[in-house]
Amino acid sequence: MSTKILIDPITRLEGHGKIHIFMDDAGAVDRAFLQIPELRGFEKFVEGRRAEDMPQITSRICGVCPTAHHMAATKALDDLYGVDPPAAAKKIRELVYSIFMVEDHALHFFFLGGPDFVVGPAAPKADRNILGVIGKVGLDIGKEVIGVRKQLRDLIGQIAGKPIHPVFGLPGGVSRALTPELQAELKATAAHAVRFGTFALEVFRDVVLANPEYVELVTSEAYTHRTYYMGLVDAANKVTFYDGTLRVVDPAGQEFLAFEPRDYLGHIAEHVEPWTYMKFCFLKDVGWNGFAEGPDSGVYGVAPLARLNASDGMATPLAHEAYEELVSTLGGKPVHHTLANHWARIVELLYAAERMSELAADPEILSPDIRTLPTATPDEGVGVVEAPRGTLIHHYFTDERGLIESANLIVATQNNAARIAMSVDKAARWLITGGEVDDGLLNQLEMAFRAYDPCYGCATHSLPGQMPLLVQIHDPDGEVVRELRRD
Amino acid sequence: MRTLVLGLGNELASDDAVGVLVARAVRERIADGTDVVESSASGMALIEILAGSDRAIVVDSILTGRNPPGTITELGLEQIGRVVAPSLHQAGLPEMAAVAERLGLEFPSETRVLAVEVRDPYTLGGPVSTPVAAAVDELARRVCNRVERWASETARAYESSEGSSRQLQDSRSASAGRDSEPPRAGSDLAS
Repeated sequence: MSTKILIDPITRLEGHGKIHIFMDDAGAVDRAFLQIPELRGFEKFVEGRRAEDMPQITSRICGVCPTAHHMAATKALDDLYGVDPPAAAKKIRELVYSIFMVEDHALHFFFLGGPDFVVGPAAPKADRNILGVIGKVGLDIGKEVIGVRKQLRDLIGQIAGKPIHPVFGLPGGVSRALTPELQAELKATAAHAVRFGTFALEVFRDVVLANPEYVELVTSEAYTHRTYYMGLVDAANKVTFYDGTLRVVDPAGQEFLAFEPRDYLGHIAEHVEPWTYMKFCFLKDVGWNGFAEGPDSGVYGVAPLARLNASDGMATPLAHEAYEELVSTLGGKPVHHTLANHWARIVELLYAAERMSELAADPEILSPDIRTLPTATPDEGVGVVEAPRGTLIHHYFTDERGLIESANLIVATQNNAARIAMSVDKAARWLITGGEVDDGLLNQLEMAFRAYDPCYGCATHSLPGQMPLLVQIHDPDGEVVRELRRD
Repeated sequence: MRTLVLGLGNELASDDAVGVLVARAVRERIADGTDVVESSASGMALIEILAGSDRAIVVDSILTGRNPPGTITELGLEQIGRVVAPSLHQAGLPEMAAVAERLGLEFPSETRVLAVEVRDPYTLGGPVSTPVAAAVDELARRVCNRVERWASETARAYESSEGSSRQLQDSRSASAGRDSEPPRAGSDLAS
């Protein structure tokens, strides 16, 4: 068939994930890691551009989480121009951001995590896909997921100009005030989103928690790492996505650091490995001690479970209840089980929906006072948000005209990179013995990194229909002795 | 009949811009009743763009390394094998079509994909390579021809249904009639 060449998974892999497994002489795993390609040349590309274009430029880097880039860039501009947006502007931004988090988490839980948990890791390969999920949860729920997401995206479009690439963030505020008509629609959709979040939690309870095998899998050593965790928290140390303090807890769950996002360079550094372009973030205060767990290794995690670990809970009632259930069920904090990210994601979905509801009902959200005009001379700005996949940092230096001299972006998957590498390695060691690798093991290996929802969106945009994973097994001399691919 | 032209790509990422460039090239030339959409989204997010159209033509980049950059391959949906995608962001058209069918969403009854071999879809701010840029005109021509062919097919189908039954005037066929005028694209290209 003519498609064979074009859609051949291997040919697409330059743009996709590749797992390398190195075996030792005894047929056990010596080392395993995941390679993810990245877009190149960002720093050079933005040099000399106007800082105020960054919310538009950076949101176009990625087709998956443009709203997160738009918001981090907008906040970096606030900082760059030393301007504090009016309360209504901050609320409108957080409202849009909450809507985005609900729809992104919904997509992930049902359609991406779903094949692992809703359908089940041991289900036949042919069922471990979106159709399998729909088959299991029912048509009505499938329609509900699509329908709710559409409503949410329409709302983002109405408030932020465009549903996929928002264009409303300005230094010191937003471009447009909310109308009472839109507020009414927001309230109604928010109520719907809260019901949807509650319902998602029920699905998780019914399908996952009621199944002892799943719970055993979630808590198994193969998917457990005792690391540091980082996330934004509010003044009460509750999870926040839009703004707050970056808090880090140690592997025992004690607060290790709390710092202003602006000071991130004092606490986060990047380690380089020869086998990948990806840089591995680590905590400077601990140091890089290899891909290792425990208090002496600076490796930390971000994303839903890390955010829950780094906080004292959720700021809204239903989400906090769900948080407490998660923590108590999984044996207290911090929860080191990577696969619990799927559960944490629903807790966060519910929080985002409740927060959306609070903000939609806030009388101040209709205020026409939505912009503080910047007057200061720009030089340096940092903006941080919690993207669905974890902490996202934008950092710009400009000349006095506001033209970018240099820029640094740390995306969520980069914060998580070391932990993801460790997860793949650990799962491979646990799952593969005597050199035997089959499709079922491959799926369980993938589950190790899928829980993080590592974003390749920044890396690739490609013809739909391809297979995005190749596993290469190397002998002790480094020769590829076997390849497994998903197709 | 609603026809969708969907140009996929990241316009900032060198050759990956090609789908977007083609969408822009055809926008002014194409007949009414055709939606021209540019998007850098992928995976299930595309289902919302595709739903609601009767027919769709998708232009996207592809990197096989087996063909020279600029090589165009046209595929039908049935030629793209179904995959079990580990990432939803990478879910393919066949999955989307299957999901849409299962959920009873309106989804294009026919989808064509124009895949363009690219050289570098990863470098931000890099130029579109010469052979890929050179393929844009040909891609635009093929898109317009395909849209025109669909429009004529619909017109013929409408005329034959008109002949057999003047009663068949529901909103769908009425709109098909409106769309059946020869698209300007065709005449532009012919001149």
